[in-house]
Amino acid sequence: MTKIVVLGAGIAGHVAASHLRRKLSKEHEVVVVSPNSNYQWIPSNIWVGIGRMKPKDLIFPLAPLYAKKNIDYKQAKAISFYPEGDTDEQKPYVLAEYVAGDEKGKKEKVTYDYLINATGPKLNFGATEGLSPGNNKAHSVCTYTHAQEAWVALEEAIQQMKQGKKTKILIGTGHAKATCQGAAFEYILNVEQELRRHKVRDMAEITWISNEYQLGDFGMDGMLLSYGSNILKSSEMVEMIFEDRGINWILGAGVNKVEDGVAHYETLDGEYKQETYDFAMLIPSFSGHGFKAFGKNGEDITERLFKGFMIVDADYTPKPYEEWTVQDWPETYQNPSYANIFAPGIAFAPPHGISKPRKSKNGTDITPAPPRTGMPSGITAKLVADNIIEMIKNPNHELHHKGSMGNMGAACIASAGFGMTKGSGISITTYPIVPDFKKYPDTHGRKLGKTFGSIGLAGHWLKLALHYAFIYKAKMKPFWWLIPE
Amino acid sequence: MTQRISKYKRFMMMNPIVQFFKFIYLSLKVLVIVAGGHGGTRKA
Ligand SMILES: Cc1cc2nc3c(=O)[nH]c(=O)nc-3n(C[C@H](O)[C@H](O)[C@H](O)COP(=O)(O)OP(=O)(O)OC[C@H]3O[C@@H](n4cnc5c(N)ncnc54)[C@H](O)[C@@H]3O)c2cc1C
Repeated sequence: MTKIVVLGAGIAGHVAASHLRRKLSKEHEVVVVSPNSNYQWIPSNIWVGIGRMKPKDLIFPLAPLYAKKNIDYKQAKAISFYPEGDTDEQKPYVLAEYVAGDEKGKKEKVTYDYLINATGPKLNFGATEGLSPGNNKAHSVCTYTHAQEAWVALEEAIQQMKQGKKTKILIGTGHAKATCQGAAFEYILNVEQELRRHKVRDMAEITWISNEYQLGDFGMDGMLLSYGSNILKSSEMVEMIFEDRGINWILGAGVNKVEDGVAHYETLDGEYKQETYDFAMLIPSFSGHGFKAFGKNGEDITERLFKGFMIVDADYTPKPYEEWTVQDWPETYQNPSYANIFAPGIAFAPPHGISKPRKSKNGTDITPAPPRTGMPSGITAKLVADNIIEMIKNPNHELHHKGSMGNMGAACIASAGFGMTKGSGISITTYPIVPDFKKYPDTHGRKLGKTFGSIGLAGHWLKLALHYAFIYKAKMKPFWWLIPE
Repeated sequence: MTQRISKYKRFMMMNPIVQFFKFIYLSLKVLVIVAGGHGGTRKA
């Protein structure tokens, strides 16, 4: 009998646990340790943040599903890692603390044969002074509760606009090294459309603020896209959309402080500026959770497991942008020190960025961190599950299932407005996610055709279809596994 | 606000019939990219 412990029940953790359970016989134990009692389909938070969906539309409780599917669930959070056990416990374990119910506050050594760390990012609001969801008129859409709070504030702003108040809206990244520009991009377009629906668009000045050097960078160094019969840079596509919708933009901005209605930022030119607003949505920086790891005798071995996020089979040798290659990116998400530990999704430490790193004249890094969206999170989780299954059958097996972000495509269907007839979506696919400049030297590291953009109502339908399909899949309803990651 | 998308393009972007076919096309295209597989990069 083998015991596999999955930390986190987000996209990566849930995909890994559900595939393991489906493919492994009952004698093997699958345990999920996660603090949030609900599964949430994060991409639809955007629609909660504009009041077009309710949190209940994108969440469901995990405990009943896991009980039904024979997955052991602990509503707890991992605190520290003991990959060699300790002097009392022979088996490797994770120290977890229950966060709810009768056992709240109780700590448990959760032993494992294989460990999947799918704890995603820590939303590091603390890295930007004054940035915290719901304070200083600045909001977040990173969780469904944040998104709901954002909607309450936006709705109030809309009411004030209806009464004649001119309003400034600021949306983008809230830190010099933030990622997830795509989510902020979706939100700004949805907010803009909602203001038009409420007939108050002329009362609002909407501004995009971002650490990107160019529009459409998305932390992916921008893209060269096929767009209809044209070839377009993602910067040109986003510029076209923003100009068409009357959205202003501030680029190369490292937001470092937020006060009541004021965002302070540094520019790449080294200037310190500020932007006032009545409503803001600023994505915080993402960081590792600050986990510690200990050896058999209690010695600190954190640096063998973590580099902020978890260390995996990437090449972490520091090198300049010109020397980055796709080979630096991990393929199996296995920790090099402990072969039974894996980190798919956002939980793994990337070898470096994807966008060209830039510093301000004062030496501040102002560069988007590399995104890891839902699709690669799901794909990497599934391949980790498949490798573990093979390892259980044959412990000395070479890992066959590989999926580097340098050899994987991704689809990003960005909502640009909600509505069955009035909605819009910007569908962007990229292949590969991490540009391979050797393979595709003339098309900015990506394969044209597989890297394309499209704007229109169909994009909204597709995003909505994906919402229902992925919630169906996450609920593990009949034939759920036929829906790809 | 600067009009960057022509009236004709906008009509095509929002026409439900045109977009229905686009929806099918996009769904298949996305599926091909996902199902197109993934792999390593180190041993080509
Ligand atoms: C607003 C928004 C919109 C987005 N839209 C899209 C989109 O349209 N398309 C797309 O592809 N991607 C989108 N993304 C990105 C996508 O949501 C992420 O790629 C994905 O959620 C990453 O999955 P993950 O499992 O690695 O991390 P998460 O989904 O963050 O899951 C982490 C899990 O770990 C748990 N956890 C945290 N701490 C601990 C601990 N100490 N112990 C145990 N468990 C812990 C959490 O509770 C959670 O269950 C969006 C992201 C945001 C924020």
